[in-house]
Amino acid sequence: MSVLVYTQNWEGKFKKSTFELVSYASKVAQMLNTNLVCITIGPVTEEELRKPGKYGADKIIRLESPLSSVLDNQVYTDIIAQVAMKENAKIIVFSNNNEGRAVAPRLSVRLRAGMASGVSKLPLSLEPFTVYKKSYSGNAFAHLVINTDIKILTLAQNSFELIETSDNAVTETLELVVDEALQKTTVREVQKQTGKLLITDAEVVVSGGRGMKSPDNWGPLVELADVLGAATACSRPVSDEGWRPSEEHTGQTGKVISPNLYIAVGISGATQHLAGVSSSKYIVAINTDKDAPIFEAAQYGIVGDALKVLPELVEAAKELKK
Amino acid sequence: MKILVCISNVPDTTTKVKFIDGDTRLDTAGVQWIINPWDELSLTRALELKDDASSGITSVTVAHVGTAISEPTIRKALAIGADEGIRINAEPGDAWYVAYQLAEIIRKEQFDIILCGIESSDHNGSMTGGMIAEFLGIPSVSAVSSIKIENGSPVLTREIDGGREIVSVPVPFVAVVQKGIAKEPRIASMRGIMTARTKPVRLYEPEAAEGLTRTVLFEKPAPRAACRFIDPENPRQLIELLQNEAKVI
Amino acid sequence: MSGQIVFALTLLVTLGVFAYTVYRLSRFFSFTRPGFPVKHISRRIGLMLEVAFGQTKIFRRPLVGLAHALVFWGFCIILFGSIEMVIDGLAGTDKILSALGGFYRFMMAAGDIFAYIVAAAIIIFLFRRLFIHIRRFEGIEMKKISHIDAIVALSLILILMLSLIGMNTGYYGYKMLTGQVSHGVYPISSLVAGLLTGISPDALHTLYDISWWTHILTIFVFANILPYSKHFHVFLSVPNVFLSRLEPLGKLINMQNVTREVKLMMNPDTAFAPAPADAPVERFGVRDAEDVVWKTYFDSLSCTQCGRCTSVCPANITGKRLSPRKVMMDLRARMKEKGPLMIKNGREYSDNKSLLRDYITEEELWACTTCNACAMECPININHPSLIVDMRRYLVMEEGSAPGELKSVFSNIENNGAPWQYSSEDRLLWARDIGFTVPVMSDLSSRGEKPEYLYWVGCAGAFDDRYKKVARAFATILDHLSISYAVLGKEETCTGDPARRAGNEMLFQMQALQVIELLNSYGIKKIITTCPHCYNVFRNEYPDLGGSFEVINYVQFLEHHAKEGSLKLTPEALKDTGMTYHDPCYLGRANEIYDEPRTLLRRVTGTFVEMDRNRSFALCCGAGGAQMFKEAEKGDREVFIERTEDALATDTGVIATACPFCMTMLTDGLKYKNREESIKNLDIAEIVALSLDL
Repeated sequence: MSVLVYTQNWEGKFKKSTFELVSYASKVAQMLNTNLVCITIGPVTEEELRKPGKYGADKIIRLESPLSSVLDNQVYTDIIAQVAMKENAKIIVFSNNNEGRAVAPRLSVRLRAGMASGVSKLPLSLEPFTVYKKSYSGNAFAHLVINTDIKILTLAQNSFELIETSDNAVTETLELVVDEALQKTTVREVQKQTGKLLITDAEVVVSGGRGMKSPDNWGPLVELADVLGAATACSRPVSDEGWRPSEEHTGQTGKVISPNLYIAVGISGATQHLAGVSSSKYIVAINTDKDAPIFEAAQYGIVGDALKVLPELVEAAKELKK
Repeated sequence: MKILVCISNVPDTTTKVKFIDGDTRLDTAGVQWIINPWDELSLTRALELKDDASSGITSVTVAHVGTAISEPTIRKALAIGADEGIRINAEPGDAWYVAYQLAEIIRKEQFDIILCGIESSDHNGSMTGGMIAEFLGIPSVSAVSSIKIENGSPVLTREIDGGREIVSVPVPFVAVVQKGIAKEPRIASMRGIMTARTKPVRLYEPEAAEGLTRTVLFEKPAPRAACRFIDPENPRQLIELLQNEAKVI
Repeated sequence: MSGQIVFALTLLVTLGVFAYTVYRLSRFFSFTRPGFPVKHISRRIGLMLEVAFGQTKIFRRPLVGLAHALVFWGFCIILFGSIEMVIDGLAGTDKILSALGGFYRFMMAAGDIFAYIVAAAIIIFLFRRLFIHIRRFEGIEMKKISHIDAIVALSLILILMLSLIGMNTGYYGYKMLTGQVSHGVYPISSLVAGLLTGISPDALHTLYDISWWTHILTIFVFANILPYSKHFHVFLSVPNVFLSRLEPLGKLINMQNVTREVKLMMNPDTAFAPAPADAPVERFGVRDAEDVVWKTYFDSLSCTQCGRCTSVCPANITGKRLSPRKVMMDLRARMKEKGPLMIKNGREYSDNKSLLRDYITEEELWACTTCNACAMECPININHPSLIVDMRRYLVMEEGSAPGELKSVFSNIENNGAPWQYSSEDRLLWARDIGFTVPVMSDLSSRGEKPEYLYWVGCAGAFDDRYKKVARAFATILDHLSISYAVLGKEETCTGDPARRAGNEMLFQMQALQVIELLNSYGIKKIITTCPHCYNVFRNEYPDLGGSFEVINYVQFLEHHAKEGSLKLTPEALKDTGMTYHDPCYLGRANEIYDEPRTLLRRVTGTFVEMDRNRSFALCCGAGGAQMFKEAEKGDREVFIERTEDALATDTGVIATACPFCMTMLTDGLKYKNREESIKNLDIAEIVALSLDL
């Protein structure tokens, strides 16, 4: 048997989140005392393909098929089902991202495999197989028991750390026969997001609100983001006023993100804004108003003038990165 | 074309969730039930498409797996504008169970476009839609942020990590839709509520089936620790803490 | 004799045309809806004497108001002479009413003096219109025809006055020169006649004759033009004032047809049953001209396009599309367009147009703050807000159409009982760590106790971070005074005010019936509230739905206790702090509470400064009419900034407010102006608590 993990690649490249997923799946495989197999679809260089080996993969399969260039949920389900059966996978792990959520549920029905989505910890127990996940939109956590022989998990984003291991992986290139009739999705147009670091991908986000007083004051904030390798974001009033592009607007009606660190500068912390960032691992708030609601959501805070504090933070961060 | 919108009945967003029976299930006393917000948007989009005469959409049906507690929610969906409702009279088990029941009905009644919200605010599963499609052996498209009908054919926009794609699939298909599918949810007008009283809600008994998973315990999250304030005269301390204590930079 | 026949014929034609006009208008009225019972006659007569004859509202603009009042009074006086002219014309007599003796002489004298005054006033008005740019005469609704209409009417009045002067001068001059008795006294014209030396008696008689015919024919022509002109108010203004809405401006009229439906909906037995056989088929709200109540159409005919309403509208002042004048003019114009079609094809006829959208856009309707400045300003008591809200009612209840943020507000009120998304379990967080126990109704009730007052905290007091402090301040004062009171805590839910202002009558009534049932279940008789919107709803609107309570606004409560001595306010703590006060629309214009807040504030400070626009002239903060919960419509400026500037102009250190919305707006305004460090926006409760050192 084995544990199978679907390692999505983006134009032949893996991301940090892929390796976090592999680290998780590797630990699960260890719990079951079995091997971890990775499956990725589409052309990937040998060098890139080997990378999951550093995080615990025992075998990494690359699959190329003329049908696989377009994400068709049925095609991908069929591919992964075939691989799962071939590798006798008992647990199949996906990321809880768009592609994971597109394919895993179909696979669950296909293999009659009980599924839990958005798990955030390693399985709590093996008998019965119990996993831990957020429920009621974060107001509670659930212990979920999966009763079937084969089990499918999707891992919540940003919930597991990288664990490097010794690299003993083998790679494999697979060709599979996939029924053409399954391919029903026609892609008419692709719109790629431009190069800038996506707010939704970023681990650290530095965000500015009305308390910054003027768009001219954004310099130190952008600088801090640069030094920390962070994405920049903003609150709704700022994007409405046109001080920052609307893509930066995080909040209930904007982007909902869950970075490791969210630094809110001059943001009061209205409920609608917090709704977009409350699942951040850490929130830092800088605000002149000690009663601002943001401080109730933050783990660290500075009651002070952003325009004075930010440059000092930039200096300190620069020294750190040296 | 006929659209089916699958809806689930969830506690209102402001509910303070509490658990009973050894923390195995939600305490429903005093809970205000609402249509799952994603399903509400999904229903809104379906009705927008139907309102457009050129779309070829002839009806919008809502389907739900649930007990009589869900009746008001189904009526609300009718008041918002759905033409008819279907309720499968069963406690909604896990996503697999619900998808199984819905697939049976869809097989019987034949729909062209099946819309499912990408998650429900209670279980945050993101599973039911894909499962329904696999049960029926029909295509599914996920993370759909827009549906249009062009020349009688559905055109969908789906979010992929790093951008979006505009795709088309043949009917029948399942679209798993996310926020953005409609700008804001429609509300039930007074007129809508009055006409909803005469719209049919068909009742089905469930097929015999069992779910594959079971929630055995609920936990409340640990209370958030109070904010640690750093002296504004010494902001560098923040950077140190973030590096050494929180380990996020 | 021939003169009489000619006169009789012209009078017949005039009356005939007029009768036709009246008939046509009555047909238009027949399409509108009933729903405005005319009761309280003595009160109406009083209003008529005060507002119509006394011209009290016209005097809100003192200088121009005086000029108009003089014209109006002149018309009333001169009417007497016109009646005599008709009798004379038919009977062939000459000044027949002179038999009335002293009274006649007085009326003629007054008429003569007024002829000159009115002529002068008209010349000033014409000059203003033609050569001075008066802002309120402009607007997208003021097309060329409106300006021509005004000029023509003014010119006709001038001709009337000049012809009257000609009559009086010619008459007096002729009588003098021929040594005859002149009936009536003409103080000024007699002087003018004296200046006309060298003119023959015949010429004077001709002057009289020509002036006489000019005058009466002008009246006949004018009378028939009036119903088609903005000057219809000459006939309709006095009746319109008689027919004024008598309710407080803050009150919106209950929709009975909705109450029926809501009661069915709230009863689980009937909630899903098919509609009863006698279910109303009529439209909810106003979409087209025939949907209005007859009085509203009357309003639109009486409107003289003076534009005073628009000139005080906070939305219009800040560049939004809404103009209250336009709303009334559009209704009149639409009925003019559709009325004939309905006469021909029946009331149900559709020309694929409607008042909504083709005349009045949704943008205009959603810009209204229901501040009632327009209704307060209108010299003839037209009520614009009720039409605006009636159109919102159509949008929401028939189409489910509203700005997105308001739809969320409706959902929130329905699902969690407050305009924002907060759990009702959190409604007592403001009372934490307050230093004493805030009594809760359910606790008292389970102990068999009943407090004298219910302190209704409101959703802002419970959930708005800033206003929680005000709730704390007021509860602290109640505790300090040892008042017997309790709060509802978690059982409190939204009064429904934002829903009703936004046109969601159904949701409002559902909330109202729920709240009334709850209050009655505790046997509550007296309610004190810190929010003017809740106050308005409890006091003016709940009685229509079966909820009668004694409702006390907290400012009145505080002032009452200060006056009778239990609240010992001394001006020591804040005596040197300059203060100004912003009248909340829902306390001020809506409910006419202007004095108590001022009296109260004057007890704590020696330096109270009024803003320029205060009391019934106060500028809205911009948050009413559900604006608080949505983005402002497109405009040049923000209302809240405009009002903040009014406050800053007083150069005081404290801006006192008495409403959670006003506080939010003015505090935001101070932040926007970067003055929040130096100037404080405090609620009256906080000011009192400060001065008591609580």
